[in-house]
Amino acid sequence: MGIQEQYRSEAAELLSSGEVKLVIGFGAGSTADRRRPLFARTPEESEKLVLDQNCIANLTTYLVAGGLLTDGKKVAVFLKPDGIRSLNILIAESQVKAEQVVIFGFAIENNEVTPLEGRSISDFAKLGEKLRTATPPPSVQEEAERLEAMGSSGRFEYWKEQFSKCIKCYACRQACPMCYCRRCIVDVNQPQWVSTSSHTLGNFEWNLVRAFHLAGRCAACGACDRACPVNIPLRLINYRMGKEVKEAFDYFAGESSDQNPVLASFRQDDPETFIL
Amino acid sequence: MAKIGVFVCHCGENIASNVDTANLVRKVSEHPGVEVCAEYKYFCSDPGQETVKRAIRENGLTGVVVAACSPRMHETTFRKACAEAGLNPYMLEMANIREHCSWVHSDKEKATEKAIEITRSLVEKVKRNNNLKPISVPVTRRALVIGGGIAGIQAALDIAGAGREVILVEREPSIGGHMSQLSETFPTLDCSQCILTPRMVEAIQHPNIKVLTYSEVEEVDGYIGNFKAKIRKKSRYVDIDKCTGCGDCIQKCPVKKVPSEFECGLGNRTAIYTPFAQAVPNVPVIDTTRCTYFKNGKCKICQKTCQIENCIDFGMQDTFEEYEVGAIVVATGFQIQDTTLYGEYGYGRYKDVITGLSFERLASASGPTSGVIKRPSDGKEPETIVFIQCAGSRDPSKGVRYCSKICCMYTAKHAMLYAHKNHDGRSRIFYMDIRAAGKGYDEFTRRAIEEDGAEYLRGRVSKLYEENGKLIVRGVDSLLGKPVEIAADMVVLATAIVPQPDAREFAKRIGIGYDEYGFYNEAHMKLRPVETATAGIYLCGACQSPKDIPDSVAQASAAAAKVLGLFSREQLEREPVVASVSDATCAGCFGCVMACPYNAIDVRDINDRNGNLIKQVADVNPGLCQGCGTCVTFCRSNSIDLAGFTENQIFAEIMAL
Ligand SMILES: Cc1cc2nc3c(=O)[nH]c(=O)nc-3n(C[C@H](O)[C@H](O)[C@H](O)COP(=O)(O)OP(=O)(O)OC[C@H]3O[C@@H](n4cnc5c(N)ncnc54)[C@H](O)[C@@H]3O)c2cc1C
Ligand code: SF4
Ligand code: SF4
Ligand code: SF4
Ligand code: SF4
Repeated sequence: MGIQEQYRSEAAELLSSGEVKLVIGFGAGSTADRRRPLFARTPEESEKLVLDQNCIANLTTYLVAGGLLTDGKKVAVFLKPDGIRSLNILIAESQVKAEQVVIFGFAIENNEVTPLEGRSISDFAKLGEKLRTATPPPSVQEEAERLEAMGSSGRFEYWKEQFSKCIKCYACRQACPMCYCRRCIVDVNQPQWVSTSSHTLGNFEWNLVRAFHLAGRCAACGACDRACPVNIPLRLINYRMGKEVKEAFDYFAGESSDQNPVLASFRQDDPETFIL
Repeated sequence: MAKIGVFVCHCGENIASNVDTANLVRKVSEHPGVEVCAEYKYFCSDPGQETVKRAIRENGLTGVVVAACSPRMHETTFRKACAEAGLNPYMLEMANIREHCSWVHSDKEKATEKAIEITRSLVEKVKRNNNLKPISVPVTRRALVIGGGIAGIQAALDIAGAGREVILVEREPSIGGHMSQLSETFPTLDCSQCILTPRMVEAIQHPNIKVLTYSEVEEVDGYIGNFKAKIRKKSRYVDIDKCTGCGDCIQKCPVKKVPSEFECGLGNRTAIYTPFAQAVPNVPVIDTTRCTYFKNGKCKICQKTCQIENCIDFGMQDTFEEYEVGAIVVATGFQIQDTTLYGEYGYGRYKDVITGLSFERLASASGPTSGVIKRPSDGKEPETIVFIQCAGSRDPSKGVRYCSKICCMYTAKHAMLYAHKNHDGRSRIFYMDIRAAGKGYDEFTRRAIEEDGAEYLRGRVSKLYEENGKLIVRGVDSLLGKPVEIAADMVVLATAIVPQPDAREFAKRIGIGYDEYGFYNEAHMKLRPVETATAGIYLCGACQSPKDIPDSVAQASAAAAKVLGLFSREQLEREPVVASVSDATCAGCFGCVMACPYNAIDVRDINDRNGNLIKQVADVNPGLCQGCGTCVTFCRSNSIDLAGFTENQIFAEIMAL
């Protein structure tokens, strides 16, 4: 039995026994190589679950949808390692209770889907360590190095050009599992901290706020990057913030579910190079 | 409609010389909402304040901006004036055009422009201020004193003497600090132990003082009037209530060759020990790193010797105690710098190159040589001693930049003590300057030179080496401009006074500030020298800066006076500048709960009518909140607002610039 069939039947069992109220997985998409999220509430619906190398979205986004977990019932979700990393962050930030999530873990390597052992987040403790030491995708690293080489004014020009494309659609925010706030700061209009119009200043404001709000919280799943309709390379911003946090605080977001959020916590040996 | 009064202060010439106040008044008068705008030489003076009050009454002002100095300076003054004129005191804002403007700029025209902007921005803020009421909180009238050196002991005695309870925490097995190691003390040459021991005993016997030795402060929570301190009592392995201090265990302990910290390694102690004979409390501790039982699981001779049942308990564990206190006095003292970093002085390489503190032990009647000055290497009495002052101090390249303040005095003292004990001995002192400011101090150093033959040589030592049992000291006499070479039997280094090695870490733990070296910062160097910037935490002794005993004691009594002032009231009025959370938008990430340095935020459930949980939100306890704003800056969803500094106020302030 292939992994797709195995997960389908397990999902059907979980649903028929009432162990979980919902299975969030992937279903067929609008084209042959696209997958869209599938929400199975009955064993029959779980028959439509698909699992192949095109299942790249990070489904934890749907766990934090308003009120899904407040009834205390369990939900099963299909997750790649980056999804597991974001689940760790969501647990650490009290958005999800560990015991409410059943994980169908899988990895995609060289277009092959392999299952990951374990069903509950505590089974994945080792994975965090592995991810921490893993090298980021060479493409991202190369791009990041190219940016680094530009110097600060070169980078500023680069981002000015990139941000000028932003249409403030907030697709990046909607796709991101960490953007779970019920009201985002950009929607605050009393006072209007972030200007809503799509001029350079407003675009800079929004994108910088997004970058800072994700510092030490981004799981590098690439959802924002894929969502952006105008192809702003958001992955590079996330990568840079992740690097800063790692260098300054030796912190790797989503390494475990009992991490203290880095910007909310305080350690006696934190660097304070900016305090005179 | 807002009716704002703006009062532009000249601060004598402080502001007026660099800001065109007439122009400022003209421009600000035109700003919407400004009802009156006036200037005056000193608004903080009586007539100045009267002008403000009159303007409030006559014009029915709804808000006041005083464009003057920092709010830290006079906010309280003008709040009071507003209140006296019937305006809510929180309808006042200070526009700081002194520290933020006139003092830091030299171009008058530009400074004026900036002053106008600052003032306008505060006008916009004050338009959005709300009437606030101060919060009343109870004061726990018990003090925590950290550090049982002379400073801590003095502060504890003064507070206890005024009838308030004190918890005195000392991390060593005995109180006393460095003073207990000193032989005789400048400028009077009275024996240190003789004047210190009675104080130590008084402290431990005082009904209002609870002395916790061999204990450390693990955690401090809370705020002025209401701190909670968690204290770790390290296990001594000897029951402090049962032990009579007979010392039989010490006599019998087979581990006899442990270099004594108290004797600076010049003498030995046992594994079960009291640091010195007059220790208070006179109850030994077991050094588990040395004890045979802890190392090999065999021995327990001390326990067998001890006459009292279960007094020595090898299974003893650290215990924790929590105390509620209203004020904290930090008196954690100093250390001497490690002088091995000065290779040229040969410290650590030559046994007879010692620190001033070691010299104190040699000169001390209760010390390892019973007060006879002897060379550590061969026990001979030295005929010539070279003293090197500023061995680490005033040396930005290798040591510390500051002057350690006490070394000139104790070196003169050492030369005198040596002369008194060894009439033929010669003291040669290398110095940079002799700093002897203080009552009786210059007289003291003169006496060392004129009566006790101390020979001062102005200059620095460049090299020191051993030859035929002598220490050859080479340097330059900078007054004669000639090189000098002295064959000495002993060299005493006046090492720099530095903060405790853990001073920074400890400061972070209890929430006070420190300077670039690690000495604790006072709230204001001149006007608030014994307070820290954290309300309710005070400083005394050498933890703040190098100090001698008279200064440490004076500061300790000053800190005690501050504590007693605080304890004179049952209630404390607190600023109503507190945070509050919007239930509707809080995302329940609880980052703020963790970020709040005062643990003022809790988690609160929001349930529907049937008791089903809808969501959890953050909830600020206004009694604990100090209005620091950390949570506000942390909250990503912008769900927290701070009274007195609301988002709307800050935004208006910024937009007015
Ligand atoms: C060689 C030498 C000679 C001197 N001679 C003289 C002299 O002749 N006359 C004179 O006036 N002054 C003299 N002094 C200065 C004098 O020693 C100091 O002024 C005095 O000791 C300062 O007292 P203190 O209580 O501030 O600090 P300390 O004496 O250092 O006491 C601090 C105490 O706090 C304790 N402590 C530290 N950290 C903690 C913590 N985290 N928790 C709990 N407890 C803690 C320490 O164990 C110590 O017991 C001399 C100093 C030296 C080095
Ligand atoms: S998805 Fe792209 S265009 Fe849309 S808000 Fe984000 S960065 Fe801007
Ligand atoms: S048990 Fe330890 S402290 Fe006691 S006598 Fe033996 S070595 Fe000394
Ligand atoms: S930081 Fe903001 S969103 Fe998070 S719990 Fe606190 S108030 Fe709520
Ligand atoms: S302002 Fe916020 S962080 Fe600061 S003490 Fe109050 S609740 Fe805590």
